[in-house]
Amino acid sequence: MWTPCGMARMRPHSSLKQEFLKEWIKGLQRCSFPKKSILERKKAIKLSADIAMASARNGTTCWSRALISSAARDGSDNNHLVKQILGPESDRPAMENKAPAREASVCKKILKRSCRIRRRGRRKCGAAAAAPSSIAKHLVKKRRQILRSLIPGGEFMNEICLIEETLDYITSLRVQVDVMRSLATASVRGTE
Amino acid sequence: MESNAGTTEPRSNLTASDGAQVTALESLHFTDEIHRLISAPVTDSSTSFMALLELPPPQAVELLHSSDSPKLLATSSPNVEDFKGSFHFPSNTGLIERDARFSGEANNSNGKRNSPEPKDLSANPEKAVKSEPAETESSQPLVSDPALEKRSIKRKDRENKVKGSTKKSKTAANESSEDAEKLPYVHVRARRGQATDSHSLAERARREKINARMKLLQELVPGCNKISGTALVLDEIINHAQSLQQQVEFLSMRLAAVNPRIDVNLDSILTSESGSLMDSNLPSLVMPVMWPEVQGNGHRQQYLHQWHVDALHQPVWGREEVCNNYITPENSLLTYDSSTNSETLHANQLKMEL
Repeated sequence: MWTPCGMARMRPHSSLKQEFLKEWIKGLQRCSFPKKSILERKKAIKLSADIAMASARNGTTCWSRALISSAARDGSDNNHLVKQILGPESDRPAMENKAPAREASVCKKILKRSCRIRRRGRRKCGAAAAAPSSIAKHLVKKRRQILRSLIPGGEFMNEICLIEETLDYITSLRVQVDVMRSLATASVRGTE
Repeated sequence: MESNAGTTEPRSNLTASDGAQVTALESLHFTDEIHRLISAPVTDSSTSFMALLELPPPQAVELLHSSDSPKLLATSSPNVEDFKGSFHFPSNTGLIERDARFSGEANNSNGKRNSPEPKDLSANPEKAVKSEPAETESSQPLVSDPALEKRSIKRKDRENKVKGSTKKSKTAANESSEDAEKLPYVHVRARRGQATDSHSLAERARREKINARMKLLQELVPGCNKISGTALVLDEIINHAQSLQQQVEFLSMRLAAVNPRIDVNLDSILTSESGSLMDSNLPSLVMPVMWPEVQGNGHRQQYLHQWHVDALHQPVWGREEVCNNYITPENSLLTYDSSTNSETLHANQLKMEL
């Protein structure tokens, strides 16, 4: 997931913003704005923003690939929107490549779940964990699961990957929020 | 309406030329904003933290801990002090290269160190960032450098562990198959009285990796520095991520309410985005479209009065969906560090809601 060639991936912060903005505007333009309801517009905006954020990473991170592939999965509600947004871009092959990986990770997920169930049964049978360390571990595990559910594609990662993806995801979210907020404030200021 | 000409966006380099635009000022402001964002040069300060955020975590681990080494040494986290030796946790090549470089620097800079692992070195992160290409050569002295710095380690033990850890690195590599480690072997030193068999070594290496990245996360999320304990830190991180996601939702709702239709000649904009100002290009490129239903939208009216502030200080929002304390965009990442109070306040609010 994390390609070790980190030198090429370093980029200044503002260029990340610019890239995100570029992709986002492209996506916004591509999807025909349904002027029906505000919810639909909001969905379109958020979706294009998410996809823009994910594609700004160019498939180097797991969460970005998971985000795009989950958005483009056949049968999802936003499928048409996503197809519009992505358009003829090169994200398509990236998504298709993820399919076999997804199956593998689904198998992993099933395995993990079965292990978890077995472990849970054992724990319940035994005496209640009196040692504070085990309680702490239990708490930490719970929180790790929550984190997994937060990050797109998080269920398929091991712990190390999870933390790395969290780092990247939070950074990207920040960029996204910054850009969107400045646009929103600009629009507000313009209407005063 | 023309107040936008005197916008307080520090990032903007455009002059107030948009004030000269007579027609469709509102949408012009909107598109102006887009152009500003696109054409904004790299004015972000090149502090260590900002540079950090662009790096993937493995590299950022080095820089981060090097930049925070004064903090680390001052606070003297218990983990660090317990180590009698040094740890070089298995990682990808970026870490190892950086490690080699920092090992060399550690000899010069700080004499008193508990553990010369990468995170304690006080190398200049800027220099580290720029001299990345130079580190490929320094991967060679990796083996010899740790030897110089160890104080309390016997040679035999080290060699044994090196031999032992050859296998461990492979198992570690198999464990974290996604990490794609390319190291031949790994320097892992055991503490006094700890088991040195293969499994515990690998597990310890893995734990060190996780701890290092957790530290990074702690630095990233505001307000996590003072918290000790993994569960609470994870709590903060989760809250932060959730709040960011909610902000995205809310902002997209706001933008949807505004409903701009941007007919912008994107190609010319994007080609000219590379660092150049776009004063003269603006009138020709943009075909602004006034967006409808702005005034009539009751959803936004409530927030209009709250946004009548200069861009430097944004107030706490009235609570509809999200309760946040916003900081000015261009310095947001820097001030996330400094304004930990506001962020913890927001996090506490989120906790109550959750």
